[in-house]
Amino acid sequence: MNGTTDVAKAFSFKEFGDAFVGFFASLKLAILLMITLAILSTVGTVIQQGEQPQVYIKEYGETAYWWLTKLGITDIYHQWWFSSVLVLLCINSLTCFHQRFPAIWRSIRQDKVHVTVPFIQNLKRSTVLTLGADRQKVTETLAMGFADRGYHVLFNKGEQDTTVYATKGIMGWVAAHIAHLSVTVIIVGGLLGNVIGFRDFGVCLEGQTYHIPQGNFDLHVDKFWIDYYENGAVKSYNSTLTVIDQGQPSVTKTITVNDPLVYKGIWFYQSSYGDSWDRVEKARIVVKDKATDKVVGEAILDWQKEATLKDLGLKLQLTDFVADFGFDSKDRRVYSKTVEHENPAIKLAITESNQALPAPWIFYNYPDLFEIQGSKYKFELTGYLTKKFTGLQITKDPGVMFVWIGSTMLVVGVMLSAMIYHRRVWAKVVPNATGVTVYMGGTAYKGQIDFDREFERVTERVKAAAPTV
Amino acid sequence: MFRSLFLFDVTFWLYLAAVVLYFGYLAASRSLLQPAVAGHPAETTDEGSWAETLGLLATWVTFFGLIVNGMALGTRAYERMQLSGTFAPWSNQFEAMAYVSFATIAGYLLLELKYKIKAIGAFVVSIGFIAMGAASLLPYRYQTAEPLVPALNSYWIYIHVSITLTSYAAFAMAGGLGVMYLLKERAERRGMAPNSIYATFPSLEKIDELGYKAVMVGFPLLAFGTILGAMWANYAWGGYWSWDPKETWALIVWLIYGAYIHARMNRGWEGHRAAVYQIFGLLMVVFCFWGVNFLLSGLHAYA
Repeated sequence: MNGTTDVAKAFSFKEFGDAFVGFFASLKLAILLMITLAILSTVGTVIQQGEQPQVYIKEYGETAYWWLTKLGITDIYHQWWFSSVLVLLCINSLTCFHQRFPAIWRSIRQDKVHVTVPFIQNLKRSTVLTLGADRQKVTETLAMGFADRGYHVLFNKGEQDTTVYATKGIMGWVAAHIAHLSVTVIIVGGLLGNVIGFRDFGVCLEGQTYHIPQGNFDLHVDKFWIDYYENGAVKSYNSTLTVIDQGQPSVTKTITVNDPLVYKGIWFYQSSYGDSWDRVEKARIVVKDKATDKVVGEAILDWQKEATLKDLGLKLQLTDFVADFGFDSKDRRVYSKTVEHENPAIKLAITESNQALPAPWIFYNYPDLFEIQGSKYKFELTGYLTKKFTGLQITKDPGVMFVWIGSTMLVVGVMLSAMIYHRRVWAKVVPNATGVTVYMGGTAYKGQIDFDREFERVTERVKAAAPTV
Repeated sequence: MFRSLFLFDVTFWLYLAAVVLYFGYLAASRSLLQPAVAGHPAETTDEGSWAETLGLLATWVTFFGLIVNGMALGTRAYERMQLSGTFAPWSNQFEAMAYVSFATIAGYLLLELKYKIKAIGAFVVSIGFIAMGAASLLPYRYQTAEPLVPALNSYWIYIHVSITLTSYAAFAMAGGLGVMYLLKERAERRGMAPNSIYATFPSLEKIDELGYKAVMVGFPLLAFGTILGAMWANYAWGGYWSWDPKETWALIVWLIYGAYIHARMNRGWEGHRAAVYQIFGLLMVVFCFWGVNFLLSGLHAYA
């Protein structure tokens, strides 16, 4: 009766807990999770991620696309089940640490010296030597042999026999567990970045100032330019940025693709560039005589600066530009429909013989569209120099510190655990009528060749020191 | 440009010669294993010196090949410096391949020096040779030293790329040892003749252990290389991890070897299974290195 209740009680709490920890700490689960993660990631590289629907429909067809989106395969790395595998991996490595590390910690400080002869003989590598020397000498030779190879040696001198215990490389286990912990640190860093970080994208023009609300400061774009190699290939994209904090310029830096600006934890990256859609650097205007249709003059106009053509009695000013002409009939406003230079047009302020004329829109693609009333001339836009905008990525990721800490732990842990491995040797020196019998055995978790060699050398040394019987 | 391409060519031929010599060494030392026929001791000695000569020659030719390989990379570095002011001689697919074969061969020579097993040379030097050969099969426009695109133009390229490629070399060595293991195992199962070529191989246990060792060199290096890549990405791409196919594949390869290492701990994945897995791992590395560049699109597709 009593026994049954005990079992039931144990089942509900202690045993369940142990089984739970046992399951989550298991190597089997670790391997399973790693392979699962590898397979899911492979799927994510084979099927393009985060593309426009038409890309998938073209590639796989409509039905397959429906399934892909339904299952979340078009954005696999952000699915809850993908994150769950990562979280399980954290739980797995943490429970493994919880279950195995205390024993390692204990054995650093205090190890099992006392063992039986059958235990020694059951070890992976073992040998029996019968020697014609006394217990003291053999024990000392053994101890010296291992100590010379960097082992930590302990003795236990009993009445019947002496046990020698030699160990090396326990730090290999410690390192492996540092690597286990690092997994959680990295994943926590990643999640933190996702939750409280942000990633924005800004299209910025030279000479403009932009407010950065997340940092409560302003960013002024001083300059954007491109450097080229001699063969014409692009060498670098550069933007000179100035941070204006509380009305005062505080930092100026030229950023390039590999060299962002960091201010108050916010990173500004050189991410892209392009042609501006609402302004140009310069435009070339050809002036023709209306009557003869002959070219009578040419002017290169700077943006919003007045230019004078004295011999024609003209003053010209380039006031507006749109890359893709559109007209909003409700607001009676001209705007650019897209950022592409599909239908570029400029607005020209013309002063002819000291008389301002109604400013017309002049189209690059349609030179003869409008006639300018009250003018002797026709104006044609024959070319323009675009003004570049710089594309800045603006990011804040407070988790990144954790990621680097975790990464350091991972690299150090994995490196050390690959180089250092745990080796243990026990030897029992038992006196007999003619001398001693030595039962010696040991294990190594890896590096079997090197361990065997060490074992061999110490055995030889002991044999050399005492004649074999 | 032509100077380094010439040296890369010479490297290719030297590695080919080394592979032939290593196989010659195997063939010559195989007859040594024949039980000595009574009354003909002189012949055995003769064969022995043959094998010894071939083995020595193989090692020296490999070493010379390594020197020329290193010189080719150095010359390429100089040419790059002249051209664009950065020197990393592993800035495109071709150079990366040449560097992998350099690292593989260097790793092998260290192994031969330490463990004095020449039979492995026939397999591992073959892999270095294949890498070099595959590189020289690339179209000419992939072989030249074009200046770096802005995203690559950074000091990170020196350390991130070289470390990652060195890890590939270690995995290549593990793969070669896996092939060797399977061949020897099959021969043993079929009842190998005492003078079989496989008898000259080291014991199965030793091949297995060395394969594991190679993985244990590659695994931390790949972790380090990938993390350096993440740090670089944090400067260049605005985030340390973008799930770009190349970095995802580095992670996949790392997880695959991570599973291998864990399985080996106490689930007894040694011997046959480990050998098969090492070969599978190498195929994954080859995909990560080549397949991703040519088959998948992404941020790393510069070549």
